[in-house]
Amino acid sequence: MKDLRHFIGQLEQNEELVRIKKEVDWDIELGAISRRVYDQYGPCLWFEKIKDYPQGYTVINGECGTWRRVAIAMGLDANTPLREIYEEYEKRIEGRVQPNIVDRKAAPCKENVFIGEQADIYRLPAPLIHEGDGGRYIGTWDAVITKDPETNWTNWGMYRFMIHNQNFLAGWPQTTSQFAMMLNEKYVPKNQPMPVALVIGSHPLDHMVATAPMRPGVNEAEVAGSLRGEPVDLVKCETSEIMVPANAEIIIEGEIPTDAIVPDGPFGEYPGFRSGTMAEGVAFRIKAITHRNNPILSMTALGAPVDDSSIAASLTAAVGMKLGLQRRGIDVTDVYVPPEGVTHLVIVGVRTGGIEVTKKVLDFFIARRVMVSKVIVVDKDVDVFDMKQWIHAFATKCHPGRSIVVEHFVGKSNALTPCYDAEERRILKGAFAAFDATWPLEWPKENIPPRATFKEIYSQETQDKVLAKWHEYGF
Amino acid sequence: MPKEYLTYVRKYADLYEGERDIFIKDLTPGPRKYDTKQVRALVARSAENLPGADTLWVRSEMGVLDPKPWAIKILKELPDYVKGRPYTDVFSVMNK
Repeated sequence: MKDLRHFIGQLEQNEELVRIKKEVDWDIELGAISRRVYDQYGPCLWFEKIKDYPQGYTVINGECGTWRRVAIAMGLDANTPLREIYEEYEKRIEGRVQPNIVDRKAAPCKENVFIGEQADIYRLPAPLIHEGDGGRYIGTWDAVITKDPETNWTNWGMYRFMIHNQNFLAGWPQTTSQFAMMLNEKYVPKNQPMPVALVIGSHPLDHMVATAPMRPGVNEAEVAGSLRGEPVDLVKCETSEIMVPANAEIIIEGEIPTDAIVPDGPFGEYPGFRSGTMAEGVAFRIKAITHRNNPILSMTALGAPVDDSSIAASLTAAVGMKLGLQRRGIDVTDVYVPPEGVTHLVIVGVRTGGIEVTKKVLDFFIARRVMVSKVIVVDKDVDVFDMKQWIHAFATKCHPGRSIVVEHFVGKSNALTPCYDAEERRILKGAFAAFDATWPLEWPKENIPPRATFKEIYSQETQDKVLAKWHEYGF
Repeated sequence: MPKEYLTYVRKYADLYEGERDIFIKDLTPGPRKYDTKQVRALVARSAENLPGADTLWVRSEMGVLDPKPWAIKILKELPDYVKGRPYTDVFSVMNK
């Protein structure tokens, strides 16, 4: 599967996509339709006629908004169980597939090239997604690519960007993001603008990789290749050395000046509230726009779960956390980020529990930036992917007086967390709570309450006896 | 026919009458709607206090619309952006 267009075909074959042929207004209407469909766990939507725009300039929403669509993107059967999707993803991101460097003539994203004053951002049907948003967010389901000038490491991240005006986008990659770190550590000291490319409508797995917490230095194009199972075709930007996916629908090239601020937000964000407050955003000076013929603008009408963001992060963040916890020596069985918890709640299964292990888990989560605010640690016999199991463990095994560990901090929390007040969000002040829902290690085995399920509270002999006569009972 | 603009403030109380530099979004329908510019302008709570003015709608930090619009008279256009280092707002508050 080379690109978004091929993926659209796969979605149609699996009845996961609806084409909307009726003209739709980019100003609120398109976002409202998309949000309602998310609220109803509906299909991916391809808006084929956008008000004010010529035929052929289309918008797609929700391409990875369900596990079925993620499975299709990965080339798996649409009905692949969640645990298997996780396992397959975890296996693939450990691999590396070198990208192909292609000539610009072979790059579909160069079918239309507009440089300098010819690069009119209003040529693209960017939506005003939620009523009351601070602008038209053209970058929601995107990949924002930046490059370390010293090591040549290229970072892919998913950050929101809105149209400021003809010349600028306004964005707000959080202060703790790799984008911000690269800007502040590598470009600001030299007073050099940071080249940047905003990729829209790439292969869905490219966008998934952009959401993944990768360590600095990891080549995300190689990871994307491993996830896809084939090399990513890359092509050089028109105005910088940044390499972008050649089959992407739209590339916006530009630079981030080190001495310019433009207002960003507010925006209905991934935690499911318009908690994405106003900020003095980074200014993205537009230098070029390239796009395929009949470009498809990919987007996600972010909001209350479940949507592309909560699904993508559920997978990419969870696996990243699992690997990170294991690197810290914590004997983790599985990590699950329930999409309904919008990356604020994480379930960690451990082979050996106890409050000290829970404290180690907490230490991992608050080491750098703290995007999560709550973690529940459960014993290995709890299937973290089964909500009824971990809710039961949390409700019954977490002692309200001695099994909850809380840490407070400033400067590294998630500015989008809705329960923080405006001042807390501004200074990244927050807290993290770890809930130990494991049995205390010091309890004698004979004093641990057995779980009262058929398989756990009855002897094998009793189970066999009951099962042997099951049909005789009249079931 | 007065033009309509939109601006955002952290709190409604942050907007005061008189001359000020302000980012406004042009609400003229069409593909360039919401285009943003920075202007020096006179703003007033009511159009009666600023004859011949355009309409300025105001939304809060959370995007909540003030149902009663303000009035705005643009004096001159300013650069697209404010001079400053990105993230200074966060760093300055954190360093207090």
